Amino acid sequence: MPLRETEAIVLRSYRLGEADKIVSLLTRQSGRLRAVAAGARRPKSRYGGTLEPLSYVRLWLFERENRELLRMNSAELLESFFDMQKDYRVQVAAQYVAEVSERFLPEREVNERAFRLLLAVLRGLKRSGEVNRPLAYFNYWLLRLGGFLPDLASCAACGRALGNEPGYYGAGSEGLSCAACRRSPADQTVAPGLLAVIASGCQGTLDRWLAAEKAPAGVRETRRFFEELIESHLERKLVTRQLLAEEV
Amino acid sequence: MKDFAEPLARLIDALKRLPGIGQKSAQRIAFHLERAPREDAERLAAAILDAKDKIRLCSLCNNLTEQDPCEYCTDPRRDPEVICVVETPYNVLAIEKTREYHGLYHVLHGALSPLQGIGPDQLKLKNLVERLKGGKVKELIVATNPNVEGEATAIYLSTLLKPLGLKVTRIGMGVPVGSELEFADEVTMLKALEGRREI
Ligand SMILES: [Zn+2]
Ligand SMILES: [Zn+2]
Repeated sequence: MPLRETEAIVLRSYRLGEADKIVSLLTRQSGRLRAVAAGARRPKSRYGGTLEPLSYVRLWLFERENRELLRMNSAELLESFFDMQKDYRVQVAAQYVAEVSERFLPEREVNERAFRLLLAVLRGLKRSGEVNRPLAYFNYWLLRLGGFLPDLASCAACGRALGNEPGYYGAGSEGLSCAACRRSPADQTVAPGLLAVIASGCQGTLDRWLAAEKAPAGVRETRRFFEELIESHLERKLVTRQLLAEEV
Repeated sequence: MKDFAEPLARLIDALKRLPGIGQKSAQRIAFHLERAPREDAERLAAAILDAKDKIRLCSLCNNLTEQDPCEYCTDPRRDPEVICVVETPYNVLAIEKTREYHGLYHVLHGALSPLQGIGPDQLKLKNLVERLKGGKVKELIVATNPNVEGEATAIYLSTLLKPLGLKVTRIGMGVPVGSELEFADEVTMLKALEGRREI
């Protein structure tokens, strides 16, 4: 049984049996994985708080023959994102990021850029306590890395440049529509030119964007449009999205 | 071909849904019941239904009870100025075992957990706010689990309830982060209660 060392971010954990946890992880070296941490719910567990949601850890894992789940041997905390999540808004944002990563990234497919993105977004949340820019940044890059980012300047249906017109989107949209192509009067509106501003904010590092004085107007609006694209692509509702809408 | 005859497979399947029961334990219990006298099986089935029918939530504190309000809420010897907030009825037992806590309880039936779709509206908070409005309660001890969900719940409660003019405290970290209160022994639990601080 080979022992594997990897850096990882804990996406979430599930209870298993009497006192164990199944931990869902995004690892730097091997992509998304799930592993069993024996005894992790007991007070005297060697894992302590290392396996709390979104912890950045170094892990030693055993591959088990013919088993889907790996076995955790030990874990060491590299960086904690525990305290920031005491703020419920940040907790919702952090767990949204975890849920999307878990649904969006295929299991056991190495994706170092996604790993770095997740870490940068968690650090952005932690340092700024702000939710909208880190989430907009996360959504933008996840869509772009996955090849699902549509042309933000033209209508997804007829291809016409939107120019100074607003764009529209609703449930199941894969891009913005022009006024002529919009599918329902209930569609959400995105103000003209807004996406270009946000997209340009996303071109540098998140740190740099957050260092710029204020969040630009409409970052929340954009973030929500990206969320719709992600949900359309996943073809399923995200549990955290509803709570995010209520809270942030 | 199936591993088990249909009725047995159904029983194993039902048992597997219980917390802490995996495939192997479910099989063991199913075979045990299969071999046991019919009366034993009937007694178990009746006990499950009886508990299901007679146990409800206390309308004041949401604890499991046969009479509403529950024995804690109606006990005149308990201190009505202190309420201890916990996640599950199981946690009430852990605190009772210390024998040092004499206030009342409030069971949330969960903690804020976005990944499980649990926001403030999904917690049993409404009747807590009602209970506090009378102004009788002086201290609220938040004894949710020492993990991300429990901490966020504690801070949320403190922000929500402090304006009502009472002291909101959090149990101390006699209980290590990442573990669950139902595993804490009496001594640890007592230390956690004694070491509480205002939030
Ligand atoms: Zn069009
Ligand atoms: Zn009661």
